[in-house]
Amino acid sequence: MDPVITLIQLIISGALVGGIYGLIAMGFVVAYRNARVFNIAYGQLAVVGAFVAWTFVGSPAAPRLPVPFAVVATLAVAVLLGLVVEWLLFRRMIDRSQFATFVASLGLLGVLQGLVMSVWGTKTLAMAPVFPKGPLHLGGIVLAREYLWAFLVAVLLAFVITLFFRRTRLGLAMRAAYDNQAAARTLGVSVRLSSQVAWSISAVIAAAGGILIATVGGVSMALSELVLVVLAVVLIAGMDSVAGCIAGGLVLAVGQNLVSYYAGAYFTGIESVFSMVLILIVLLVRPSGMFGTKPIERV
Amino acid sequence: MSTSNIILHSERLELSFGGIKALDSMSVEVEKGQILSLIGPNGAGKTCFINCVTGYYRPREGQIVFDGTDILGMRPHRIARLGISRTFQNPNTYPTMTALDILLAARYMHCRAGMMECLAPFGRSRREELQSRRSIEEVITFTHIEELRKKPISMMSYGQRKQVEIARALVMQPRLVLLDEPMSGLDDVMKEMVCELILDMHRQGMTIVLVEHDIQTVMELSHKVAVLDHGQKVAEGTPAEISRDARVASAYLGRNEADGQQAACP
Amino acid sequence: MKRGSRRQADYGRDVALIGGLRGWTALAVLLVATVVLPQLLSVTDNMKWVTFLNFTLLTIIAVLGLQIITGMAGQISLGHSAFLMTGGYIMAILATKLGFPFWIAAFLAVLATASVGVLVALPAIRLKGFYVAVVTLAFFTISQHIFQNLSIAGGIWGLSNVPGPSVGPLKIITDTSWYYFLLLLTAICIIASASLARSRIGRSFLAVRDNEVTASGLGINVPGAKLRAFFIGSLFAGIAGVFWTSYVTAVRIDQFSLWDSIWYLGMIIIGGLGSTAGAVLGVLFLQLVRQVLHEITASGVVPLSINFSAALTFAVYGLAIILFIAFRPHGLMAVWQKLKTSYKRWPFGE
Ligand SMILES: Nc1ncnc2c1ncn2[C@@H]1O[C@H](COP(=O)(O)OP(=O)(O)OP(=O)(O)O)[C@@H](O)[C@H]1O
Ligand SMILES: [Mg+2]
Repeated sequence: MDPVITLIQLIISGALVGGIYGLIAMGFVVAYRNARVFNIAYGQLAVVGAFVAWTFVGSPAAPRLPVPFAVVATLAVAVLLGLVVEWLLFRRMIDRSQFATFVASLGLLGVLQGLVMSVWGTKTLAMAPVFPKGPLHLGGIVLAREYLWAFLVAVLLAFVITLFFRRTRLGLAMRAAYDNQAAARTLGVSVRLSSQVAWSISAVIAAAGGILIATVGGVSMALSELVLVVLAVVLIAGMDSVAGCIAGGLVLAVGQNLVSYYAGAYFTGIESVFSMVLILIVLLVRPSGMFGTKPIERV
Repeated sequence: MSTSNIILHSERLELSFGGIKALDSMSVEVEKGQILSLIGPNGAGKTCFINCVTGYYRPREGQIVFDGTDILGMRPHRIARLGISRTFQNPNTYPTMTALDILLAARYMHCRAGMMECLAPFGRSRREELQSRRSIEEVITFTHIEELRKKPISMMSYGQRKQVEIARALVMQPRLVLLDEPMSGLDDVMKEMVCELILDMHRQGMTIVLVEHDIQTVMELSHKVAVLDHGQKVAEGTPAEISRDARVASAYLGRNEADGQQAACP
Repeated sequence: MKRGSRRQADYGRDVALIGGLRGWTALAVLLVATVVLPQLLSVTDNMKWVTFLNFTLLTIIAVLGLQIITGMAGQISLGHSAFLMTGGYIMAILATKLGFPFWIAAFLAVLATASVGVLVALPAIRLKGFYVAVVTLAFFTISQHIFQNLSIAGGIWGLSNVPGPSVGPLKIITDTSWYYFLLLLTAICIIASASLARSRIGRSFLAVRDNEVTASGLGINVPGAKLRAFFIGSLFAGIAGVFWTSYVTAVRIDQFSLWDSIWYLGMIIIGGLGSTAGAVLGVLFLQLVRQVLHEITASGVVPLSINFSAALTFAVYGLAIILFIAFRPHGLMAVWQKLKTSYKRWPFGE
């Protein structure tokens, strides 16, 4: 095949995955900003979402519910999961340090891992098609239809989330609470409500992202590695902007696609190494991270 | 007066944050063994001056010389090792340490044991530990914090933290101590005690820079007083000279109020 | 004056690692118990329990290292098992591929691991909090893939036939001889870690953890302290990794997983952040939990599949971490301290 065409195809298919990465990263950011939890178990939420979806959708040989119902049911379960996690665990830790909530999320990681392993086992499961399958020819470029669909859905969802935080009263109040919790409290924004909403949204995004990735690569525990992807995206893009998340996702996924195509034969798992090296470079160039501006230290 | 008597010399310090000039051509000299007080209204730049001397802030321009060494731009730990220690205006919090912990930690630069020596239950590290323990016990008696030894700092009252803060500065056996409002928020008994402490430190030969709002104490304690306002030194002299200075009153009371007062009681 | 002089006499005791008759008695009892333990266990049935003890001892050494990095110096590390991996692989390469004598290979491998620790710390020292965690996570992923791809490291099959140590004419081969060897090694590491906690360097770690700003005012070079913490911490991890590899005579990529890193963190939380004894208690606690779960499933009393028993371990470990951080954030050490005081004050209550 023509090397230029190959390159273009790699970039485009990478970009499609990148959109999904961007969406997934947003869910992490919501939990970090609005619930103040550096949720290392975030990848596991995506895993749970994907497996639940698999249960509803069924395998290719034996489909169960129609896809729209199945997806709605999965997202409902995700909201429930988010609320339960918030209610059982993080509500009790609202006034604790970020280190403490981080450690709690480490524990959650184990619990969710155990849950998934005991319910669904450790094998990779194939899911009945969620989106129309088949190749799509654009000029010389061949794309998989499901990638395109997954990308469109991801971007749409990202847009909806953005609208929520920019246009609705609650969303705006939650953003204000991030900037100044005390002030938000005097304005009558309930910390508890904001934490509940943040967890629901975060869990829904994780589940949706899990499903979207699963439509492309199947359902397995390997999805938990999404948390590495998320960290990379978040560090590249910054915690502040949704657009940044999408852009970061694009950079990461296109880069991964390229290195794995051109260098994958010489080094297995090079795409993971690529994202980690990217993280290190970003942190070295901007030690305070790309999360935003360096806070002024008062002495 | 010979220049060798000057232990700290800062010249035309310029420091600003955005539009605010925190220090504006600020020069001051401190003589060895003396007590210099810095006074001035809130936001005058007193803490900023201390931060510049101890390396936490880097002035845009100027010069700071400590005992013949140019310390401008040095990092805080280097400056501390030269023999400058300070207390912080807001007594610091340590989530886990007790008074004893922080005082022993403050002996850091007087001990020499290397990383590998510190892993051994015998040898230099142990000897130094014993010695540190002995010398901080002196400071503990000196600063009257016997009762606080094993108390976590996070459980202490504001006043107790201030006491520990001074003890911490003293454990470092500095040649120059910068005390940032050591008496604010203390009751009269404690204030008296801190005054005594400062005089004791003076008798031991330490040079002291004192930032304090309580004019009365400042006038009693200091050899020299410098008045800051909006980052500028507006007056300097002996306590007697300063109390006669009209600019001091205006700096302290704020110009309008001072004018108003003059108008009200001619 | 009298009070003062009494205190003077006390410093030696205050500074000592073990104080008082009670301390020494407890130590003696502990020593005798640990020494006769394998004899008692060998009466029961097979060597299973001695093997369990050996892995526990190795884990203690590893976790002592993490306690220094995260517990004492406050640098969250998610990459600790990668230090074990580094030590283990370098040991295996030196001893099997390059033919180095055991002790030289071990020494070089430990030193190399500690140097890698410093290398990891270099980007980490400019960062705070979770950024450090992310850097260490990145380090884990990168080193895992490097060893997996390195042909000299045996690819995905790893390396086998890693030799065991010999002390003079004594060859350490049997599980029981390994037990005594590792017991000695662990004791040395515990003493080293406890000494560190009461030394200038250890205190500089605590100062950095509690307040970086004032730490530098004490004359402590904050980045330097972090580098040292990583050096010493990964030194311990290197020791653990080297002897782990040598004990199981092989090294493979899944021998040191990200989960191990996570459980190590859990162990120092459960034991008590920052204390040497806490690290030991935390390891013992989770190891016992794992073994008990294993026994339950293996005995067949409760019919569980292998898969489910593995899942159970994950869930129970996770739950233990959650319960401790939520309800006993200072870990077993605090529980122990509380028991001790209430015992001393008995019958007067709290
Ligand atoms: N890190 C910083 N960033 C921005 N502005 C600062 C910073 N530190 C100090 N300032 C500003 O510099 C000015 C001088 O502050 P400084 O703390 O030195 O005052 P001060 O004389 O110590 O007052 P006080 O008596 O209230 O302690 C103030 O206007 C303050 O807001
Ligand atoms: Mg001030």
